[in-house]
Amino acid sequence: MFIALRDLTYARGRFALMALVIALIAFLMTFLTGLAAGLIKNNISGLMELDITHIAFEMDDKPTYRNTMIEREQWEEWATQPGVKRMEPMGHTVFTARTQKDDPLELVLWGLRPGSLIEPEVLEGSPLGGTQEGVIVSRLLAERDGVEIGDRITLDRVLTEMEVVGIAEERNIGHIPIIYAPLRKWQEATYGPPGGPAPGEELPDVVFDFVSILALELEEDISPEQLAAIDDELVTTTLDRSAFYAASTGYIEEVRTVQIIQVFLFLISAVVIGAFFSIWTIQRTKEIGLVKALGAANGYLLRDALGQALILMAIGVFLGLSLGLWSGQAFMESGRPFMFETDKIIQAMVLLVTAGLLGGALSIRKITAVDPIIALGQEQ
Amino acid sequence: MSLKTEAVTLLLGDGDQQVKALDQVDVQVAAGELVVVLGPSGAGKSSLLAVCGGLRTPTSGKVWIGDIEITQLKPSELTRLRLEKIGFVFQQSNLVPSLTALDQLLLLVHMQGRRPKAADREHALALLDEVGMADKQNRRGNQLSGGERQRVGIARAFMTEPTLLLVDEPTSMLDTQRGGQTVELLRRACHDHKVATMMVTHDRDVLSQADRVVEIRDGHLSAFNEPATVSAGAVADAAH
Repeated sequence: MFIALRDLTYARGRFALMALVIALIAFLMTFLTGLAAGLIKNNISGLMELDITHIAFEMDDKPTYRNTMIEREQWEEWATQPGVKRMEPMGHTVFTARTQKDDPLELVLWGLRPGSLIEPEVLEGSPLGGTQEGVIVSRLLAERDGVEIGDRITLDRVLTEMEVVGIAEERNIGHIPIIYAPLRKWQEATYGPPGGPAPGEELPDVVFDFVSILALELEEDISPEQLAAIDDELVTTTLDRSAFYAASTGYIEEVRTVQIIQVFLFLISAVVIGAFFSIWTIQRTKEIGLVKALGAANGYLLRDALGQALILMAIGVFLGLSLGLWSGQAFMESGRPFMFETDKIIQAMVLLVTAGLLGGALSIRKITAVDPIIALGQEQ
Repeated sequence: MSLKTEAVTLLLGDGDQQVKALDQVDVQVAAGELVVVLGPSGAGKSSLLAVCGGLRTPTSGKVWIGDIEITQLKPSELTRLRLEKIGFVFQQSNLVPSLTALDQLLLLVHMQGRRPKAADREHALALLDEVGMADKQNRRGNQLSGGERQRVGIARAFMTEPTLLLVDEPTSMLDTQRGGQTVELLRRACHDHKVATMMVTHDRDVLSQADRVVEIRDGHLSAFNEPATVSAGAVADAAH
């Protein structure tokens, strides 16, 4: 890269501007990757943390968490099916509520059997099951809404009261924070009468015969045909991890939007770098002809120019990545959805450099067409 | 003989536009000899340089550099030959813009696939010193005058210790005094380094520096004359 390195300092103004453009693209790419990961986490962190392989919904072509109901007979049958290692019935209902300070809240109430393996670990407080009314809240509710252990939360409309006994890591679904309740409490809130049973009375058993979904841990070798047969028999629709993530409201749309922006950034990168090196190569035509006349092989010049493109990309990507990580950190600390996933950021940067080099290479190959005869002032 | 052409003919263009740029050209240049090819614009001077330098393949005829028949070589072999056996001195602006005077010479070492070493730097500095440019080794082309650029070009041409030196109109962009100095420098370097040198020009003022003068007209090499006996017609045409 004898000429390439000297060109970089000789035409430093032009190369600095180009590096700045690449840096901005790399910054956008880093920021977008972090934002995408943050949004995904914000949307489905509750699901991501479930140590399960599948979720069974009420039979539906497009099952959603808001529109599913499974009966006791179904879940008891599911538990006995071959290939099922573990089955946990779960409730899922979106509620609005009031905190003890009468602040409004939107929350997803998840009902779990206390002590089940899908119950989250608490950061402070105690797990489910100590009292019938005790619930665990997502850390977000503690940090953002000032909910504390011992506070009471009252669900709107059904007027069910719950007591905060534990605080877990931030867990959301559909960007709404989760409150984990004992399954019976969830069933009471979801299917019982507003305000609970009349004094001295108990809720009928039927209230406790329904849940929303079944969290399943299935054997690895269970076939799709076996799964379909169980679904047919038990009138359920069972989804694997990627599919039950996609069942969360807005998840697919968010992921696709971010992916489309990323694809466009890759294309923009390839086109911008390609255009720059195309113009740069055209401007250097006379010089390239001269060096070829002096005995430079095409391979030598191509390596030199590609090396130049790689250095330019590396500088731009380093600057953009640094800026992206710095601003991402600030963004994250301000409580916005952002998450660094090293492998995805590295992947994005490698793709960005590849796209840029590809664009550069397509332009730089014009070098091979330059006839050294132009060094003698003759036409090609 | 360091350079020898035998019945070289070069046709350029197609159909009705076809032009015979070179017509049955025979020329020989010995090591340490400076041969000036004199002719008016469009006479075929640059075409002759291009064929001798492996930049164009003649339509017919043969060209030897030393004992290598270059008309038989593949393009990649011709590229290598230009790097190792041929030195070019182009018109004044032909320096790589981003390189300093010293780097213009070291570039050739790098093109040979070697990282320039201390010995290469010493060799390059000695050549720059020989052309009076050692003190301006760190200047780029745009920081040098026309004559200085031409001197750097001459030093660069000798960097790989070539068998053949091909010089294209070295005085065309220089005033008479600087032009004369440049050709004198070329003559001295040609003799000192024992390099066969073919210089094409239309400048009659440089003829006295030549060991031999060849006249070219319409692609045809018409005569071999001593500088003192160059045909008046050729000189007059060249002056135009």
